[in-house]
Amino acid sequence: MRSRFLRGAARCLWARPALGPSRRPLSCGHPAVEELFARGGPLRTFLERQASSDAPLQVRRPELVAAAKLLSEKEQELRETEHLLRDENEDLRRLAENEITLCQKEITQLKQQIVLLLVPSEETDENDLVLEVTAGIGGQEAMLFTSEMFDMYQQYAAFKRWHFETLEYFPSEIGGLRHASASIGGSEAYKLMKFEGGVHRVQRVPKTERQGRIHTSTMTVAILPQPTEINLVVNPKDLRIDTKRASGAGGQHVNTTDSAVRIVHLPTGIVSECQQERSQLKNREMAMKKLCAKLYSMHLEEETSKRYNARKIQVGTKGRSEKIRTYNFPQNRVTDHRINKSVHDLEAFMKGDYQLDEMIQSLKDYANYESLLEIISKNL
Amino acid sequence: MGALRKALSWEVKLWGRVLRPLLSCQGRTGGTRGRTCSSRQPHPALAGLLSATGQVSHWTEVFEKRGIPEARESSEYIVAHVLGAKTFQSLKPVLWTQPLTPWQLQRIQELCSHRLQRMPVQYILGEWDFQGLNLKMAPPVFIPRPETEELVEWVLEEVAQRPCAAGAQGGPLILEVGCGSGAIALSLLSQLLESRVIAVDREEAAICLTHENAQRLQLQDRIWIVPLDVTLEGSWTHLLPWGPVDLVVSNPPYVFHQDMEQLAPEILSYEDAAALDGGKEGMDLITHILSLAPRLLKDSGSIFLEVDPRHPELVSSWLQSRPGLSLSLVAVRRDFCGRPRFLHIRRSGP
Repeated sequence: MRSRFLRGAARCLWARPALGPSRRPLSCGHPAVEELFARGGPLRTFLERQASSDAPLQVRRPELVAAAKLLSEKEQELRETEHLLRDENEDLRRLAENEITLCQKEITQLKQQIVLLLVPSEETDENDLVLEVTAGIGGQEAMLFTSEMFDMYQQYAAFKRWHFETLEYFPSEIGGLRHASASIGGSEAYKLMKFEGGVHRVQRVPKTERQGRIHTSTMTVAILPQPTEINLVVNPKDLRIDTKRASGAGGQHVNTTDSAVRIVHLPTGIVSECQQERSQLKNREMAMKKLCAKLYSMHLEEETSKRYNARKIQVGTKGRSEKIRTYNFPQNRVTDHRINKSVHDLEAFMKGDYQLDEMIQSLKDYANYESLLEIISKNL
Repeated sequence: MGALRKALSWEVKLWGRVLRPLLSCQGRTGGTRGRTCSSRQPHPALAGLLSATGQVSHWTEVFEKRGIPEARESSEYIVAHVLGAKTFQSLKPVLWTQPLTPWQLQRIQELCSHRLQRMPVQYILGEWDFQGLNLKMAPPVFIPRPETEELVEWVLEEVAQRPCAAGAQGGPLILEVGCGSGAIALSLLSQLLESRVIAVDREEAAICLTHENAQRLQLQDRIWIVPLDVTLEGSWTHLLPWGPVDLVVSNPPYVFHQDMEQLAPEILSYEDAAALDGGKEGMDLITHILSLAPRLLKDSGSIFLEVDPRHPELVSSWLQSRPGLSLSLVAVRRDFCGRPRFLHIRRSGP
């Protein structure tokens, strides 16, 4: 057990060239993925089976087979070059060192490529999404934290150059946030944001606390993929659209300013509201966006929960009730419980840029690892 | 009027009570405004009243007492506006509870006093949103209603479906009759990047406001704004130089004359009656538009109108009795409240 741990740690070390702290290390992701690639390991066996002609047709893909073949060639090359490190000739040794660095780089890239080829992309990965934040237990303190979290995601969207549009916003009396939602769109928006869904826990002395005691409060994040027109068709007859103009003659006969819109999806009873804008049409568009996202995630729910039941990283409703991350202010620490990763600069993390991005990337890598395991166990 | 004055003086008295401590504070510190004031611990009840939420509930109560419609909405829009947001919902939560500056409080009071005189919120703020656009609003120019956003949607859908209707120069050439603030014309221009619009109105104030809004939205290069009264004999000939148009769009005055006096004070005392009163059956302007349209429209060009729910039938029979116009009602669409509100009329034949 210990030796395995050490081996993993050592591998981790070599996978991290000494670059600036902001640069991501060149590895194929989670250290556990490296583990899978170990010689004689399950992924190896799987890849070897892929290359042989008796692999089932649906998984045998030429790119994968080619990459696997190239990988073993490169590794062979690496082993042969490593012998030269003990050569008497210094020039040759230096040449070998260079060769090895190059070789290792190529191997890492090949592994990355293999992971990408194996991990299936979700139907919704490229979609836009609706982010929902809701204050949980902890009263006003939970609402204050919810407001900070909403800001963090807004800043993260700006950092990723995504488009961010607030759909609804229900503040509390003292400047906190009860509930809010926003539409987020851009390259890989759902693919990355989906790991943020779940219960986030905050531990700190609330502004409202006089005795200086540390409180624990929670808030919930839900990430709903926004369906495209092909993904979801809503029958207008299934909708009831409520506005304040419903009574009276309407048109030029009245001049009212209440532009709030409430849409009810009759078959499911799902309700979506918006009063962010002065234009009623805009409010209707935004409420509709949210309604579609809710309907779509309901539709996806069943198969998703079936598919990912055993995973640590849950996406969808099942993940929503799970405590995924703790923000501990006294210790200046953020810990993600799914991958047991901590960041020791809470303020920087909540700025929603590099630190949050790195956490999300780690989660993505771990999710890749989990789905790799699943594929291998299914196909061996 | 006497009652109004009395109510206003009551209001001023109440405000004197609230503002005096603030103003005296300001006086002492030589006009350095809110900072010195807020560093002092204000009386808790006063601090509550002087926040955005406090102001909203205060003015809601005042409006309710005085029978002002949409009491809460009005005060929310006014407070949000003074704080630089469009709606109270979209205001940052920290701004809900922060004490307002004396200037902000004064501004809120000023705007709310207009509301007490039943001035429409859109005129009070001097702006409103239509489709995705922010437009300047000024009395007495007609304030665009939310239904009209749907008229624009319909036109956009039709243009998207029938690109053949587009002229040789790209987008369609559109004539809008009675442009008011320019809402319809400018929202069409902002979404149809190749289109051009001729916007006419008989009221000077409307012409000026459309000009201003076009400038504000940087759309002035594709719009011609023409002062023109289409009810005058032969006036349409002034439009011939632009050549035949693909579309005519209008939200003409369509209120039945006898319904005019039942309109709310917001409308009756502030909006131009000429933009609302459609004559005995609300058809005066509609029939003028339908009569001149065949002379200006291309073959198989279209007319899109917003009308009263009683109009689809009236218009249909009016057209049937005038086959010479070669116009036919091809579709009626309902508004978001389910009332038949929009007409699509097409020119058929010569």
